[in-house]
Amino acid sequence: MSETPEFAVDINHVSKMFHRQRQRTMKEMLPAFFRGGKKGVVDSFWALQDIDLHIKKGETFGVVGPNGSGKSTLLKLIARVSLPTSGDVQVHGRITPLIELGAGFHPDMTGRENIFLNASILGLTKKQTLPLVESIIDFSEIGDFIDDPVKHYSSGMYTRLAFSVAIHVPFDILLVDEILSVGDARFRKKCNQQITDFKNQGKTIIYVGHGLEHVSSLCDRAAFINYGHLEKVGDPDEVIQCYMDKQEQESART
Amino acid sequence: MRFFEVFANEQYRELLGQLTARELAQRYKQSVIGYFWVILNPFIQMLVMSFVFVNIFGNKNLGVAYPLFLFTGLLPWNLFSQSLTSCAEALVGSASLLSKIYFPREILVLSRMLARVVDFLFASIILIGMMIFYRHGVTVHVLWVVPIFVIQFLFTYGLSLFLAAANLFYRDVRHLLNLVVMTWMYLTPVMYDADIFPSKYRWIFQINPMAVFVNAYRQVILGVDPPNFRSLAIGLVLSLVVCAWGYRFFKKLEGQFADSV
Repeated sequence: MSETPEFAVDINHVSKMFHRQRQRTMKEMLPAFFRGGKKGVVDSFWALQDIDLHIKKGETFGVVGPNGSGKSTLLKLIARVSLPTSGDVQVHGRITPLIELGAGFHPDMTGRENIFLNASILGLTKKQTLPLVESIIDFSEIGDFIDDPVKHYSSGMYTRLAFSVAIHVPFDILLVDEILSVGDARFRKKCNQQITDFKNQGKTIIYVGHGLEHVSSLCDRAAFINYGHLEKVGDPDEVIQCYMDKQEQESART
Repeated sequence: MRFFEVFANEQYRELLGQLTARELAQRYKQSVIGYFWVILNPFIQMLVMSFVFVNIFGNKNLGVAYPLFLFTGLLPWNLFSQSLTSCAEALVGSASLLSKIYFPREILVLSRMLARVVDFLFASIILIGMMIFYRHGVTVHVLWVVPIFVIQFLFTYGLSLFLAAANLFYRDVRHLLNLVVMTWMYLTPVMYDADIFPSKYRWIFQINPMAVFVNAYRQVILGVDPPNFRSLAIGLVLSLVVCAWGYRFFKKLEGQFADSV
């Protein structure tokens, strides 16, 4: 069942537990040790509990939920950066994460050098990157500054370049985390257009964020995660409605 | 075998190359003499230490000039100590990458080590210069330098993997490491000859792999005999064990790296 090729991502009954170790320093560990406690009091919480989600190939899938609900943890599990405590995640295809743009940049290196560095982090060889360079620079609108160290870039230039590299690397599945709010209004529009193009090309896109209008306009399906539980999966507008109702109830209670 | 995954996969090899280049680039960016520091540093280190030691202890009967004796030990020692201190920060220094995208994490450690190897090769130019200066010839046994280097590399790599992972969970590792490296240097015959130690302490040099490596380098570069095969064989076995153990330790914790940075 998990091998069915029609799915891009299979999340099978996945749970993720985090430990919050209380005593991390000697000052705290020693008294605990003498009090006869075990290996420091560890309390744990479930960031995700029994999540079962199957994202189809070519689908644009949105994930919504309040802060700390486990959305980013879910993205990390899909990106294989973090491992589930139980259950398993199967990914069929090549992933490009658009999260935390520019993480691989080195401030002292020029924009051009960083293009190669970042592309190799995303899985391209130098030979594969070469023909893309001009197009990457064009899209980023960095112009002549491309041969300056990126530490002299404005934060907008920085993210524009990172975004441009990421979208030029061939992928099957795109992980998007709030990225549609990058740069100024004009560049944002360009990014949104690019995402729509990917969607029309039949790429799988997983969007996580608070931009509910994006979920509504862009996504084919959506899921609402609340405190680690999967509350609802289905039509984006119904999911958003469910999310809004829950938020409504929350604020009524407090 | 998963251990060779990084070398078998073209994509990972490229990434390793890029990260190593990035590591080296840090050396010359925004610096006037740039990469030349890699040669200048050990050279000055050698001059200062030679000055102090020759004047305090006099020129002991080493069979070779003290600066030459010192530098054949200093080169592999610097490679070792600089690899450890640099690799310990490999994961902590790339926190944002760890939580962003997947690739075998040992690439981060390996790239730092390779950069130190490049430094080592450049610093070796000084040794060649000194050999010419002192008109010190070599025999065919000098070729043993290659296997000795490989054994030392495996040993260092294993320790580096362990330190990088441990430092991610407990930053004490970094501070402790400075102490350990300093102590370790004094217990390795880098600045002195093992023979000047009272024989009741000489077991230290037998259980200290770095002492075995430093002695072996000296023997094949400065001497006329082949290395001591028995201690080298023990060194090889020990290095393989340390490397395999470090790798397993690293891989076992790898899944938790992103949760812990």
